[in-house]
Amino acid sequence: MLLAKLAFRNIFRQRRRSLLTGLSMGGGYLLLAFTLSLSKGSFNNLIDIFTHDHTGHVQIHKGNYVDRPGIQKTLLRTSGIEKILDNEGAVISWAPRIYGVGLGYGGEKSAPLSIVGIDPKLEKNTTTISEKIHQGDYFGSEINADGYFSAMIGYGVADMLKLAIGDEIVLISSGVDGSIANDIYIVQAMVGNRTSYDKMNVYLPLNAAQDFFSMVNKVHEYAVITAHSTDARELARSLSAAIDNTEVTVSPWQEVEETFYKSMKADQEGQKVTMGIVVFLVCIGVLNTVLMSVLERTREFGVMLAVGTNRFTVMSMIILETAALGILSCLGGFILSVPLIYWFTTVGITMPQAMDFGGIIYDTMKGEMNLTVFALPAVIIVGSAALVSLLPGIRAAQITPLDALSDR
Amino acid sequence: MFKAITFILLLIAAPISQSMTNEDRAKELIRKMDDMYRSTASRATMTMRMQTPNYDRSMTMESVTIGEDQMLIRILAPKKERGIATLKIDKEMWNYFPKINKTIKVPPSMMMGSWMGSDFTNDDLVKESSLVEDYSLVVQEDADYYEITLTPKIQTVTVWGKIVVKINKIDNTPAEQAFFDDKGRKVRVMSYKEPKQFGNVTLPSVLEMIPLNKVGHRTLITYDKLELNAEDVDKKLFTMRSLKQRLR
Repeated sequence: MLLAKLAFRNIFRQRRRSLLTGLSMGGGYLLLAFTLSLSKGSFNNLIDIFTHDHTGHVQIHKGNYVDRPGIQKTLLRTSGIEKILDNEGAVISWAPRIYGVGLGYGGEKSAPLSIVGIDPKLEKNTTTISEKIHQGDYFGSEINADGYFSAMIGYGVADMLKLAIGDEIVLISSGVDGSIANDIYIVQAMVGNRTSYDKMNVYLPLNAAQDFFSMVNKVHEYAVITAHSTDARELARSLSAAIDNTEVTVSPWQEVEETFYKSMKADQEGQKVTMGIVVFLVCIGVLNTVLMSVLERTREFGVMLAVGTNRFTVMSMIILETAALGILSCLGGFILSVPLIYWFTTVGITMPQAMDFGGIIYDTMKGEMNLTVFALPAVIIVGSAALVSLLPGIRAAQITPLDALSDR
Repeated sequence: MFKAITFILLLIAAPISQSMTNEDRAKELIRKMDDMYRSTASRATMTMRMQTPNYDRSMTMESVTIGEDQMLIRILAPKKERGIATLKIDKEMWNYFPKINKTIKVPPSMMMGSWMGSDFTNDDLVKESSLVEDYSLVVQEDADYYEITLTPKIQTVTVWGKIVVKINKIDNTPAEQAFFDDKGRKVRVMSYKEPKQFGNVTLPSVLEMIPLNKVGHRTLITYDKLELNAEDVDKKLFTMRSLKQRLR
């Protein structure tokens, strides 16, 4: 108790120096908290945009469809998977899909295309596809008066086949049973832009696509959305247990989009380096000031030792001093960072150049506010400051009282 | 490798070293075989059955031909594909899809592509290269068959490294064609089976194509009806206009 009292008194004895050290630690805390918030915020924001764009949080396929897609690897819609999805509380929405490839014709031009069958209603609830439409209207699954289904096409398709809203697009492919698939569809909307990953996609209503590929009641994929992207693995596990079929694979987005996930991970690792540099700078500052104060107070320590203070106590006092100062600075930093990070989380920084993720505009960098963002920097700062003060502490403890007092 | 080189050298050397009559005889046999099918004009109804590990389906089609150069095939069933037609004139080929009212010319790049989802290629129908003119022929014989080995001449554009044609000695009908790639591997085998009386000739009524690089795949074409030298088939049938004729 006496030790703590001494330590606190020492902090306030040299106010200017303490303020300087405190500033460096408080600034470090602020910087760390800010970086952490930004890193977490943009990471989660990007994943959110990404998963809601198309992938969803969990996907269900037959067998190894994710690694080796094949038109024959189909799931029966009546197999009970949909009932399980409806009953699972963590599932917010889900959407069935069909994938195929084919040749598209618009007038005289032709191009190889990806054909994606989606359920207009379920897909709209699950992904942001309806927000990516930049021309025309989102389609429905009805047949029009002339007996044609409508289709939505990507930017690249429209560009290559010179198609506009209301034009006919002709698709030729082969069905799951090897039959020849050919039909005419009316372009109802254009999706995404020139950078969209799905620019060569043609979206058909699910029932039209099932008809086209001769796969009545069959789909290739279910995309499932849950509350938070971090819940994906857990949901995948529980769905897999509920479906209980070795032929059906349930994968979280981290597995479906492995490359994306890994690059995001690598990005976060990179952030750690930045934070390491901040911590290093703070440490140097702390080391500098503490070392200075120890040198200045050589006589004081000499007296302490001379009157019989334990060497270990002297060292503990110095470390305690630094740690206490660290806690005070972090407190100050915390008070300053709360409104800053709050603003950053709710308003964010509008980027001068908006990033475009396949038609979805990402233009504000936002932070995230949670316990980790505030607690982790405090632990790092106080911990590293205490660690750094070990060196001056040992130095002070090794002082010979006679040398110190005789000013030699 | 050494074997292959010797083999090729032998093949090249064969027509020179052996008397020319070997090649002439081979040509004669191939011509005879072709003539059986060629007739002046034919009309046929056939069933094509495609078997793969994933599906097994059949289509019925009708075809009319004049010689080797003109052919029109139209699918009658199943309903989804009814009316889809293929027209071949000389070395060009078009497919017509009634549902989308579109005629699509089969480009040279698609010649090795599957015809109507079967194991037959578009090239099998078009036969861009003539067996007699574009290949060097060597004939061998055993008790039952003539075996003619065809190797493409240098200027011949083909994907096959070698074709071996087996012909029944008794009636000169084809028995088997084996196709090899340029590395000498057997890629696919077409067998002629179940001889049947069509008019006054007996011909194999079943064509079986087995691609050896695709496990479990097989295409069977069965001639249900074949009328050789059909008199009502004339040149007017082989036009874009008749290709687009809709089936009722």
